Amino acid sequence: MSFAVKASSITKQFGQITALADVSFSIKPGEIYGLIGPNGAGKTTTLRIVCTLIKPSSGTLTIFNQDVVKQPEKTRQNISYLPEESGAYPNLTGWEYLRFMAKLQSKSGTDVKEIVNEAATICGLGDRLKDRAKTYSKGMKRRLLVARALMTRPQLAVLDEPASGLDIMHAYHIREIIKRYVKEHGVTVLLSSHNMLEVEYLCDRVALINKGRLVLEGEPKELKVRYNGENLEEVFMRVVGYA
Amino acid sequence: MLKGFTTILLKELKELMRDPKILIGMIVLPLIMFPVLGLVLGYAVDTAQQEAQRATLLVVDNDGGNWSSIFVSYVNQTGMNLVLVNNSSPQEIVDQGLLTQSNSSTFIVIPTGFSANLTRHDSGDLTVTGTVNVYSVFNGGGGIFSGAGGSIAGLLVQGFNRAVAPDLIVTSQSSIIKGVIEEGVNASALSSLMLSQSFALPFTIMIMITYAMQIAATSVAMEKEEKTLETLLTTPVDRFAILMGKVSSTIIVAGAASITVLVGYTYMLGSLSLGVTSGLGSGVDLVALGLVPSASGYVLLGVSLFFTLLSALALAVVMSAFSENVRGAQALVGYIYPLIFIPALALIYLDFNSLPLALKAVFYAIPYSHPILASKAVVTGDYGTVIFGIVYVAVFTVVIMYIASRLFATEKILTAKLKIGRQRKQLKE
Repeated sequence: MSFAVKASSITKQFGQITALADVSFSIKPGEIYGLIGPNGAGKTTTLRIVCTLIKPSSGTLTIFNQDVVKQPEKTRQNISYLPEESGAYPNLTGWEYLRFMAKLQSKSGTDVKEIVNEAATICGLGDRLKDRAKTYSKGMKRRLLVARALMTRPQLAVLDEPASGLDIMHAYHIREIIKRYVKEHGVTVLLSSHNMLEVEYLCDRVALINKGRLVLEGEPKELKVRYNGENLEEVFMRVVGYA
Repeated sequence: MLKGFTTILLKELKELMRDPKILIGMIVLPLIMFPVLGLVLGYAVDTAQQEAQRATLLVVDNDGGNWSSIFVSYVNQTGMNLVLVNNSSPQEIVDQGLLTQSNSSTFIVIPTGFSANLTRHDSGDLTVTGTVNVYSVFNGGGGIFSGAGGSIAGLLVQGFNRAVAPDLIVTSQSSIIKGVIEEGVNASALSSLMLSQSFALPFTIMIMITYAMQIAATSVAMEKEEKTLETLLTTPVDRFAILMGKVSSTIIVAGAASITVLVGYTYMLGSLSLGVTSGLGSGVDLVALGLVPSASGYVLLGVSLFFTLLSALALAVVMSAFSENVRGAQALVGYIYPLIFIPALALIYLDFNSLPLALKAVFYAIPYSHPILASKAVVTGDYGTVIFGIVYVAVFTVVIMYIASRLFATEKILTAKLKIGRQRKQLKE
């Protein structure tokens, strides 16, 4: 079977610290896959390896059969990354930011204007796109960035805590964007969150990470049944031995 | 006492003293910079004194009379090294390279009729005095020791007047500028003038480089802090293009800044005139004396400024790669400031050409010395020094750019962090 992402025995050392230890998982095309775990568990490190920002100390990781270490340039053509709590350039307007990123992210020959219009539709910010990003609220900024991450219809969108710290309205909007966009365009999504309820709602499958190790993987429904939990939060606490 | 005042005061002090930017800028920097500056100036003063003790005075006796012999004997008695020449014009002394041969920068000419005039004075005609002409090389250095030779000659004449006969001799001071004698232009006064105007450019350069470094460091650090750099690094764009795009934008700003400085500097020099040097009271301006850079001099000065700014910007980009945020980047860049301030301040007061070789080597090694050296060198037409500086700073910049490109090509751009006193890598998760 061909996987969108296939990680095999990934380990990452930062000096004496082991951030990831022997992590393996695979994601099917068109799937929304969630990495969940507490702060410092290794979620962001995993996403950074997937996005070619850092290299694993050992193990292999392929994205649509391309090795991220051996073919980072090719990998970057097929992915889009949204870092946690990232910002936009404060002195660019929303339109300018989207146009700038569309030029960098799009493949040659594609219509940048079309991509930017798509992003405008996704984020739903309307006329506020004419304003500079520094005037946006946190929620508006996040909507702009999620739209930026999805506008080129990448094969794999990697979203680090996409709705973290947002109010209920903006968080809801962002979840809806992700869910709808995947269905419409068949984009594969790898996201991380420590909000287990959010992950349960969004993801087809999840992996629980704790202290750099992948401790559990499966569909949310199946995991809840297996561990007799009402939600993924309870499942996680049982798996790591706190409940 | 206001309620809570002490608690807030203590908290504020803790916050301020633990902020590396404040610690470096307000405590560490002055503690390092001024003692180092003092050492440099002290070393230069010692060297200048030793040079003065070894200095030779060239006396040209065109009079050959009784009084000229008395004057020469007096100079001999002071213990100065004396080289006596007979019957030569001042320009011949310069053209024949006698100053260089005798390791001297000043010569005194006793003109024809000197003894006759003093004899008339001695016979009761007090309106007549003897005049000796002092010629001093002006090298354009503008340091605090420039024109010392002329001053020594002046002191000798004063001593002679006190010891032998009151107000018997007066001096007429002239300068030798680029091998040409400028009659009536006092080299000491000219040096003072050059010193007074030499503050402007080093200060401007100092401010410009520090400001540009802050901008470049902030630019990269903000990308890291806002995580827009992470986003950029995952796009299908060559990472060197990201680095070059960032540096190129600052190059344009640096270019504009160089031009702005030059325009202001040109205007300042062009409008500067000197009216105090001539004994006749006539004004002498720097343009007429050839002490303003030529068109090619200005171009070289601009290029020197540009490359220095570029190297500073590239270094700021590299240093900011080791910081986590804007404050950290600004603090790191602060470590470079002594290398900008010390040459700028020291070279205002010192004549670079008269410095010992070791000190010269130190200044040459610091890239930020070069536009200041260039600003003096273009005045004297010493283009070799300027071109050497440009090449050196260009090579330095290429090395820094290479390091920057290596940083951008690896994960170090995200993971490397430099802490004061130790280097450690941290991970977010």
